[in-house]
Amino acid sequence: METAATLLTVVEYWCYAGLALAAVFLTVGLDRVEPNARVSFIFRPLLLPGVVILWPLVAWRWWQLETGRDAPLARHRPPRAWHRRFWIVFACAIPAILILGLIVRQDGPYERPAVLLEPPEASQ
Amino acid sequence: MSVAYIPVQWNPNKWFYDAVLVLMCGLYIGLFLHYAPQFQDVTRPVDTAVHRARALGSCAFFMLTVILCIGPLARLDRRFLPLLYNRRHFGVLTCFVALGHAGFILDWYFAFSPVPQWNALLSSNVSYGQVLGFPFEAFGIFALFVLIVLAATSHDFWLSFLTAPVWKALHYLIYFAYAAVVAHVTFGVMQDLQNPLFGMAVALSAALVSGLHLWAALAEPRPETEAREGHWERVGLVAEIEEGCAKIGLLTTGERVAVFKHEGTLSAISNACAHQNGPLGEGRIVFGCVTCPWHGFQYQLRNGRSPDPFTETVPTYHLKVESGEIWVDNRPNPPGTDVEPIVIDPAAAAVKEAAHEDA
Repeated sequence: METAATLLTVVEYWCYAGLALAAVFLTVGLDRVEPNARVSFIFRPLLLPGVVILWPLVAWRWWQLETGRDAPLARHRPPRAWHRRFWIVFACAIPAILILGLIVRQDGPYERPAVLLEPPEASQ
Repeated sequence: MSVAYIPVQWNPNKWFYDAVLVLMCGLYIGLFLHYAPQFQDVTRPVDTAVHRARALGSCAFFMLTVILCIGPLARLDRRFLPLLYNRRHFGVLTCFVALGHAGFILDWYFAFSPVPQWNALLSSNVSYGQVLGFPFEAFGIFALFVLIVLAATSHDFWLSFLTAPVWKALHYLIYFAYAAVVAHVTFGVMQDLQNPLFGMAVALSAALVSGLHLWAALAEPRPETEAREGHWERVGLVAEIEEGCAKIGLLTTGERVAVFKHEGTLSAISNACAHQNGPLGEGRIVFGCVTCPWHGFQYQLRNGRSPDPFTETVPTYHLKVESGEIWVDNRPNPPGTDVEPIVIDPAAAAVKEAAHEDA
């Protein structure tokens, strides 16, 4: 219970940080780094969830574009080198998960014998 | 293609695509809610709220299955490319359906929880150290989170801002989400499932997704580097390329170049579309412009620029033809750089092709 509460608190503060960045980025930063957004305002609320969730990535890209560290040719190098191998691993992983799940079913091929539980102390 | 962003870039094709999606989705959920109670064990009737959760959950699973099948299908057969065209809307709708599933689950199983519902969900089963009885909810939460991230970054702005390679790397999470959904279903509802119908449908879906990805991965043509002299690399023969089409060459730098033949000239541009890195070399020339087969973005051959008023650009490459062989300078020009197309000498090209065939 405490771990879950801590996790949810972290998520909450993550969202607060994201909202703070979004407030600046969507009003000031967007016009500076994205020419196609300069006359567009109605679409900006749609970006809010993405900025809140991915605010470190947004901050990194904003910094890259603001400081001229963006490599224009990098956007034309798709991650294709490992794409084929990734698909093969994915294709093998899906049936493996399914088969594992079916094997551990109580009435599966390796059925576990039922265990008589001790009655709760309160009812004794 | 856009010069100013708008919330949703709908057009008649996308309206039709989305209408079919919503209709199919509504039909599935309606049929599930109508017929699923008949398959229940009458001694243990399932509540309506649980039926609704299952209807939306299974709908999201099958939608995700179809989404993942579109990619390999489009690679295997060009006739499936129209399905790829608006796949992001498909993904966003799937996210909303999955959110509906999560909402029904929270409002039913944790309706009277003394702690917040998400807290109760995360702490109700923490047996992470065992396979049997593993908290399958965690798989579902992970998949839902991924779907939300992908839906939240589905606007074209994100492609431009993050760059297509980063955006694509982020959206590869969909494969992990699908694996998590399969685990969520297998370690969840299928552990107690008595009726084999749903189990068979899940197994068939998983087999379809796996089989298509394996097939497409093995069938994908892999261009190879042919020869190299300094920065110049041979990518093929002039006679190999049909009018209006391209030869895709893999350079030793790891980049792919698309060499197009158009009206007696040759031009080379990057094979990666500026929008989503679609394979330009598999596209066609429409009104003098290379047209990306994925979303229709267009580029002029001699400078890699989209026609006005659009602003997308791709790198161009310098070319030379020697004895009918095409050589590409492997140093890409900055996107949008003007390069004079090479005029093809028909005699030289024909001689080399004849020699190639004799060999």
